Amino acid sequence: MREKNSKRLQNGLFLFFAGLLLLSMPASAQFHPKATEWPSYAADLAGTRYRPLDQINAANFSDLEIAWRIKTDNFGDRPEYKLEGTPLMVNGTLYATAGSRRAVIALDPATGELLWIHGEHEGKRGGAAPRQLSGRGLAYWSDGKEERILYVTPGFRLICLDAKTGVPIPSFGNNGEVDLKRNDDQDIFPDLITGEIGIQSAPVVAKDTVIIGAAFREGMTPRSMRNNKGYVRGFDVRTGKRLWIFHTIPKKGEFGYDTWEKGSAEYTGNTGVWTQITVDAQLGLVYLPVETPTSDFYGGHRPGNNLFGESLVCVDLKTGERKWHFQLVHHPLWDMDISSAPILADVTVDGKPVKAVAQPTKQGFLYVFDRVTGKPVWPMPERPVEVGNVPGETYSPTQPIPTKPQAYSRNGVSIDDLIDFTPALRDRAKEIASKYHLGPVYTPPSVSTLDGTIGTLTMGTASGGTNWPGGSYDPETHNVYVYACNSCIEPIGLVAAPKEVSDIAYIAGTAGREVEILKGPGENAGADSPKPPKKPAGGGFTRMDVDGLILVKPPYGTITAINLDSGEFVWQIAHGETPDVVRSHPALKGLNIPRTGQTTYNIGTLVTKTLVIAGEGNVTTTADHPRGAMLRAYDKMTGKEVGAVYMPAPQTGSPMTYMVNGKQYIVVAVSGGPYSGEYIAYTLPSAGE
Amino acid sequence: MKYPLAILVLAALATPLWRQVPDASVRSVWDGVYTEEQAKRGESIYKKECAACHGDMLTGGESAPPLTGGAFLANWNGLTMGDLFDRIRKTMPQSAPGRLTRQQDADILAFMLSINKFPAGKTELYKQSEMLKEIRFESAKPSPKK
Repeated sequence: MREKNSKRLQNGLFLFFAGLLLLSMPASAQFHPKATEWPSYAADLAGTRYRPLDQINAANFSDLEIAWRIKTDNFGDRPEYKLEGTPLMVNGTLYATAGSRRAVIALDPATGELLWIHGEHEGKRGGAAPRQLSGRGLAYWSDGKEERILYVTPGFRLICLDAKTGVPIPSFGNNGEVDLKRNDDQDIFPDLITGEIGIQSAPVVAKDTVIIGAAFREGMTPRSMRNNKGYVRGFDVRTGKRLWIFHTIPKKGEFGYDTWEKGSAEYTGNTGVWTQITVDAQLGLVYLPVETPTSDFYGGHRPGNNLFGESLVCVDLKTGERKWHFQLVHHPLWDMDISSAPILADVTVDGKPVKAVAQPTKQGFLYVFDRVTGKPVWPMPERPVEVGNVPGETYSPTQPIPTKPQAYSRNGVSIDDLIDFTPALRDRAKEIASKYHLGPVYTPPSVSTLDGTIGTLTMGTASGGTNWPGGSYDPETHNVYVYACNSCIEPIGLVAAPKEVSDIAYIAGTAGREVEILKGPGENAGADSPKPPKKPAGGGFTRMDVDGLILVKPPYGTITAINLDSGEFVWQIAHGETPDVVRSHPALKGLNIPRTGQTTYNIGTLVTKTLVIAGEGNVTTTADHPRGAMLRAYDKMTGKEVGAVYMPAPQTGSPMTYMVNGKQYIVVAVSGGPYSGEYIAYTLPSAGE
Repeated sequence: MKYPLAILVLAALATPLWRQVPDASVRSVWDGVYTEEQAKRGESIYKKECAACHGDMLTGGESAPPLTGGAFLANWNGLTMGDLFDRIRKTMPQSAPGRLTRQQDADILAFMLSINKFPAGKTELYKQSEMLKEIRFESAKPSPKK
């Protein structure tokens, strides 16, 4: 059912300005983005977040000033506090998604002046969407004449706009839209309005094909083992016609169906591609980073390895046909969604040229493959891992472990990882840790008990290592630069799910804090009615810190430079000012603690001719700056910090850069806590200023 | 006898407005600004309204930030409970912001304080933003006052 109440925001005044843009557009036959532009979410289809610009450099980074800024509060019916977008800048216009409406805005890249805006009012369908707010961005396409902007609404509709005017293209789909809940080789249940499926990442356009994945709600405590499936589809950018579909959970008769035992492929859902997709347009290959199947931490209802869950899958750009795949985690139990764009890199290993694809992960391994054949560039032998004892669960006895590069962030918790600032603090950290099951990467989740352990203390699972912002790649040095949370501890305990809550046997939870079913007034309250069972003592939540200090040693967050010719680290640094609580902690007075970095998982990097640039994810107040966060620049060869500039709130969307009118700009999305979303553009002061 | 009883009830209800501030300067989350009972109520609401995105352990997910731990404490440190309360009022639950009552939001906030191991006290957390703005959110326990 098509929604009747869709209405579009347009501002005719801006059409005039858009018309001026049209006149100034070069009439080339093919679209060739310039090095001074940022034409797709990750700068290019290879996922590099690299631009060879050097007007802003080590000598002047700290002189940056705000060129323009735009609050996103009014691009929706309420402000948003989690602005995650990275804008595009192409052909003299900057485009971004913004606000709780996920509006599309076009701005003058030098001044920030609003040129046009487009928004979709989706009513209930938008309100029921699993992935709301402004999303990560949009896609640009041009054949040298026409220019189009494509994005997906929270309600899961693909919209195609004229890039010059913001007006939907009538010849695309149904008057400029394709309903992504239809024509998906499945019936989205329970209905098209509330059916759980959506996406927050930016679409990818390669040649004339738009590629769209799918996302769902968080999968920690799902209501059912059944859910909609996250297939990936390719659409014709001119007509909106579906060109192909890839079944991330194979259908009967397709390769991989037998990795879902007891017919579990039929009802298991999720397994989408919710993050950025990468394309090698020359080879005609698409790289799909696939997420976890239903549910995140319990797989007892889906015995088997569960292809293509947590697999990197390479498919043909024209047909969607699978070329190769590599499953990073068999029978996934840790929410190790492949969470960021695969990175394409042409490197030289042992003297031989390799067309590689490198995949950063939550588990802190950078998996590197030959992107044509899918063969690991360095061996990834299957190693035995702990087999757990959660009732009904099945376990893979082995997992592939990359031998090179070494893990760039912690992916397990041991006693050695606990803080050792002072013996007293360490003892208290040990006491907390003693309530949990500890172990290296792939230590399985455990049942939460009152007389045993609360759960498994993990790192590199749901929120550790590298999440959706991914890494950057420098084609000059052949280095991947990647941020990782090195202290995002995730306790994973399982409790039996009451039937009223979920039909899954075990969901995330804590003994002693059983899910309570709300009772009606007066129920079980009369005389002689059964007395409620006495709640067991103990159990419950344990805060993962000691007097505000995180349980594990610094560095809390890092940026690592990894060379893809050698597989070795070039440098690794702590990213981010030491948190206020550490700098002012009474128990740490007199100790010399080097910069710790910060505990956050959503930091994206930008690499230029000379710099690696990334903002902070936490707020601090120091002698050098008021309450706020810093955008920092590092020498890309050494990791040495060479400059920093103040931001009023943490970085929540990855930075991008471009040149216009001879000036270089850096745009970054900031928000969080009480600070609503804002795009801020920095540039150098003009001469004489 | 009924009349004085009513007065007592009214007095009890009004107590939070009149309570004595131990230090005339600023109160913080370390001064027992919610009750255990309120946190328990908040836990039931949290599980129903918030846990699906923010997690049973408040550790957050890909789409929702953690409500405990380093980033949460750092990003609210130095602000007020009023700021945190208003943020919930304006934007949560995401599917229908403002659907919960002020009382429910205050109860959820009390639960968040308890999970973050800020001490409980004898009076419930206010449900008026302006009053909550008088309570500072301090992530680290302040040194004892002299």
